[in-house]
Amino acid sequence: MPGEREPFVSGSLRHLQDNIRRAGPAATASYSLIGAILLLGGGGHLLDRWQGTEPWGLLTGLLAGLVVGFYELAKTVWKR
Amino acid sequence: MQQPDHTEPTEQAGEHAEAAEHAAEGFDAGEVIIEHVANSSFEHPILHLPVLFGIDFSVTKHVFMLLFVATAVFLLITTTVRRYLRQDRLVPGGFMNALEFIVEFIRDSIVLPNVGAKYVRTWAPLVLTFFFFILAANVVGLIPIFEVVGLIDHYVLHTGEHSLVKNVIHGGTTATANFNVTAALATITFISIIIAGTLAHGFIKHWINLVPHGLAWPLYILLIPIEVMGMFVKPFALTMRLAANMTGGHIAILAILSFVFLFTELFESALAGISVGVLVSVPLAVGINALEIIVVLVQAYVFTLLSAVFIGMAINVHH
Repeated sequence: MPGEREPFVSGSLRHLQDNIRRAGPAATASYSLIGAILLLGGGGHLLDRWQGTEPWGLLTGLLAGLVVGFYELAKTVWKR
Repeated sequence: MQQPDHTEPTEQAGEHAEAAEHAAEGFDAGEVIIEHVANSSFEHPILHLPVLFGIDFSVTKHVFMLLFVATAVFLLITTTVRRYLRQDRLVPGGFMNALEFIVEFIRDSIVLPNVGAKYVRTWAPLVLTFFFFILAANVVGLIPIFEVVGLIDHYVLHTGEHSLVKNVIHGGTTATANFNVTAALATITFISIIIAGTLAHGFIKHWINLVPHGLAWPLYILLIPIEVMGMFVKPFALTMRLAANMTGGHIAILAILSFVFLFTELFESALAGISVGVLVSVPLAVGINALEIIVVLVQAYVFTLLSAVFIGMAINVHH
């Protein structure tokens, strides 16, 4: 049984891996774009709540998130 | 995807007795889904443990799953490998064969191409641990163990209100659907990236390698903060992707299944609910469950692959 199923399993794993490797950069880029905005925007919001500087921390955080996110996006896009 | 009408999650475990009464009045899909997905509240953990160094060590349902999965993976893999090594002839068979296949696959096609031949033996164990733990946690989260235990409890055992069984069975659980768990995993990746760069290039050179070389100096004022923030963003993206994917599937399945009860209420007839269930909900939920099996595999794979890629980027710097 293992000898018979091995080619199928390894074959489908290989295809899966192939597809993920090709989709990898896109997945990284998209999530780092959203992740940067969420992380830095959230950080700015927390700073606001801690220091009471209402909109400015959030705004700066979102802006920094956009810049960092697009920078990471550009790095993955322009790599090849 | 959260329903707007859910009550605060912290109050829910305590209100379980009242929830049973509420069920007679109306079905609240949002509350059911949130109760299923959220961790148990800190007031009613599965197991009360003392607070040490300001950290509450009480076992909630996600902590329970975490410990359960970690122990299971550790025991399963160590006993298999030990039994294999104790044999006279080193021919793998059965589970060991599959294990060896996965280990070789990850070492040769994830770690080796990214990290490079020199550091494979340093980083393959970490990446393998990531893969086995995340895969096991994801897969166990798909199996509705606690729902089955809950059914047995409801019809056979009849345990008390705050017994161990009652506390455990509040919904199925995926340890990796908790942001704290994935954040911890991503923190390990984050530290590994720094250690990998330090091992390969020395501590100071690793930080210099973060920014591209040979640019005009005003650009560095801009680039250095961006790169430093980007350093934190990469593990955060890992955290988010794994946790969100693991939570999302459960919410989708539950939302679709709750159509049965919503339609029963809407038309005030059990027939409407049953027909919606047979025609729409159950086939869709089965389909999404099948999709979840792939997602479970892919997310474990993606987390390990990206960890290896990030570690490799710190080792093989090319700008």
